[in-house]
Amino acid sequence: MKRGIIILLGITVALSGMNWVYAKWFYHKDLMTHSDMVSMSWKVAEDSLQLVYLGESSNKTYAYWDQDQRKISEMVADGLPGLRCGDITKEASHAEIYYYLLKNIPEDNCVETVVVTMNLRSFGPYWIYSSLETALQKQLVLMKGYPPLMGRALLAFKDYPIHTTNEWNQLADKEFKHAKLEFPYPFPFETAQAWNYDFAVKGVKDAEGNRDQAMTELTSHFVKNYAFQIHDDNPRVKDFDRIVKLCEKRGWKLVFNLMAENVDKAETLVGPDLVFLMRENAKYLEARYGAKGVVVVNNLERVRDEHFLDKGWPTEHYDEIGRKIIANQVIDGVSKKILY
Amino acid sequence: MVFNSIPYLVFLPLMVLVFYLTPHRFRWIPLLAGSCLFYMWFVPKYILILLITIIIDYSAGILMERYSDQPKRKKAFFVTSITSTLLVLFIFKYLGFINDNVVWLCQSLGLDVRTSVKIILPIGLSFHTFQSMSYVIEVYRGNQRAERHFGYYALYVMFFPQLVTGPIERPGNLLRQLHEEKQFSADHLTRGLRLILFGFFIKMVVADNLGVYVDQVYADPQAYNSWSVWLAMVFYSFQIYGDFFGYSTIALGSALLMGFSISDNFRTPYLSKNIAEFWHRWHISLSTWFRDYVYIPMGGSRVKFGRWAWNILVVFVLSGIWHGANWTFLLWGLAHGVLHIIEKVLRRNERPTTHWLVEGLRTVKTFLLVTLFWVFFRATDFGNMKDVFQAAVSQFGEGKSLEVDPKLWGFLGLFVLSDLLLYNKRFDSWCQGKPAIVRWGIYVVLVFCTIAFSCVENFPFIYFQF
Repeated sequence: MKRGIIILLGITVALSGMNWVYAKWFYHKDLMTHSDMVSMSWKVAEDSLQLVYLGESSNKTYAYWDQDQRKISEMVADGLPGLRCGDITKEASHAEIYYYLLKNIPEDNCVETVVVTMNLRSFGPYWIYSSLETALQKQLVLMKGYPPLMGRALLAFKDYPIHTTNEWNQLADKEFKHAKLEFPYPFPFETAQAWNYDFAVKGVKDAEGNRDQAMTELTSHFVKNYAFQIHDDNPRVKDFDRIVKLCEKRGWKLVFNLMAENVDKAETLVGPDLVFLMRENAKYLEARYGAKGVVVVNNLERVRDEHFLDKGWPTEHYDEIGRKIIANQVIDGVSKKILY
Repeated sequence: MVFNSIPYLVFLPLMVLVFYLTPHRFRWIPLLAGSCLFYMWFVPKYILILLITIIIDYSAGILMERYSDQPKRKKAFFVTSITSTLLVLFIFKYLGFINDNVVWLCQSLGLDVRTSVKIILPIGLSFHTFQSMSYVIEVYRGNQRAERHFGYYALYVMFFPQLVTGPIERPGNLLRQLHEEKQFSADHLTRGLRLILFGFFIKMVVADNLGVYVDQVYADPQAYNSWSVWLAMVFYSFQIYGDFFGYSTIALGSALLMGFSISDNFRTPYLSKNIAEFWHRWHISLSTWFRDYVYIPMGGSRVKFGRWAWNILVVFVLSGIWHGANWTFLLWGLAHGVLHIIEKVLRRNERPTTHWLVEGLRTVKTFLLVTLFWVFFRATDFGNMKDVFQAAVSQFGEGKSLEVDPKLWGFLGLFVLSDLLLYNKRFDSWCQGKPAIVRWGIYVVLVFCTIAFSCVENFPFIYFQF
């Protein structure tokens, strides 16, 4: 018994010592190597930012013909001259990534307002189970706030989902196949997969009545990216809930910037049923987070088709006009609902 | 489930706890269930293939024993069992390869053939089919009684520590032990933990970190200068050794926690003085399998030289192709076989010596030849192999240099040192005689290095693919 206690005590002391050594000499370098996005969180405090805009590629993608190639966050900053604004932009990010980025902002900071990009597609299976997740989740391991040595142990033993692209696709397909769609009116398809299959079989016809394969594929991408319904158990909803709690705890005012989607194209390619789902999902998010005191800027239908840059894939990449529309909405939301 | 994962770190202690808390006669149940869970963690449906093999070989064992006085019937059951096991191996491992070659041959002859076979290889198939076959052969030869308890037989094939990459156990060792009542022993626990810790260090810190550099060079050998290509070749020798030795050591440790002693798969192979010795020290369970079930039945060495050389070539080519359905593996096996024969011829005229310098030079020579042959093994195809060899001899003054993290030299040095210290010994036994302060110092260093310096890139165990 006595021997057991001595061994346990010895192990505790040894582990504490190892944790100290690791934290002092190796942790910072590992953070910079394996979770380099944490430096963006640290910079928020270093730059004494008052407003932080968190975004993914939609923030910084521009057209080469744009006269004004500023990021959305820079437009927001210029529209709020009284505030020191900055951004944290990481491609393919979603609410979970934003949560850990916010969590890693040092306690000693000047942040007052946080604007978080809310991307409708990120709630769907093809983003939740994206093949980019392995790399993103790996980056999060050291950012989760465990004692340094424990975080490194979790990284060493690969405590993040490791799947091949094929396996990620299978996970998304499974969700796509089984999630039931509910409409308040009769609808011929139970699931998005059945709906997508119908489009694939019939195909989109061109002006001469021939099958237009490119448009058929684009239609399929729209169905795959928007034909889902957000419920309380959606992992992204849980992450946004965590962001709300974190911001409440840290005394930050919160804005969710629901990005514009190409509703025009969705209507033309798929029809009003898909637009119905998109609107319902936006309404759900607005209601849920509005009730929690978050300013939700609903941009879902604010940007018209011609201002979307990618024509062969549904994205939230806008030209100069599109970005300005989004930025102005955010400026408006912050000015009217937060500053005054 | 892979050993170096959080699920395994949770699974193993729970398994050990449940094992010792269950009365002896029921222990096979949690152990088999745990082994199934361990295997199904990869691709659940592939357990059905395992189940089919188990049922066939289990039945064949009983039937061969029942009809032991009717040689023809006994042989028929034996052939059925071996054929069905080999058929499973053939379909899942070699069908795609044979199809690709037939298609290539037909197309070369101007025929328009475009069939394609895409079958994912169930993890560890070559290991458990060979283990299963060794049971059937031993029962057929009358060396092993047929196992009547289906649970024990299934467990013999599926025992999780050695299920996916061996060691390939014989029924005389593992099946016997499964029937024995294992008592909890602090000594087994300590030794098992030591082995697991050492295995993690070798795999995660040494092998995986080396793998980063090896992958870089093999992905684009022509971009590197010859020194870097040679360095990558040497690194691969230690990567594959560390990877497989590390895995086998964890397997050994995991089994020992429950009191099971499974076979050693390695005995400091890079300290061998010739190829024959190398194969007595490398992947021992596979070498002895081929020795006992292929080489000796073919006549072994008690035949004329020509026949012996043929036997050697057959065994090494089979061993190569066992590793993977690719011409590169076949070539690797063939190269070892040819060298084995050449060395045997040369040794006839060699003066016996025990001078340390001569022995040292022989060790270095063997290591270099094995390292060269690993290029066949590691290259993705003949084109890649050619590129590596070409870059190794023709780019001394051009190309990038590998920039190796200085810490890696330290870890590699520790690995080499451990091999020297552990010559013909196992890490757990080696630790046993050391003072407590030294032992605990070693544990602390190994734990700290495994956590703080393990590679964060995902390197699945190399032998998983076989």
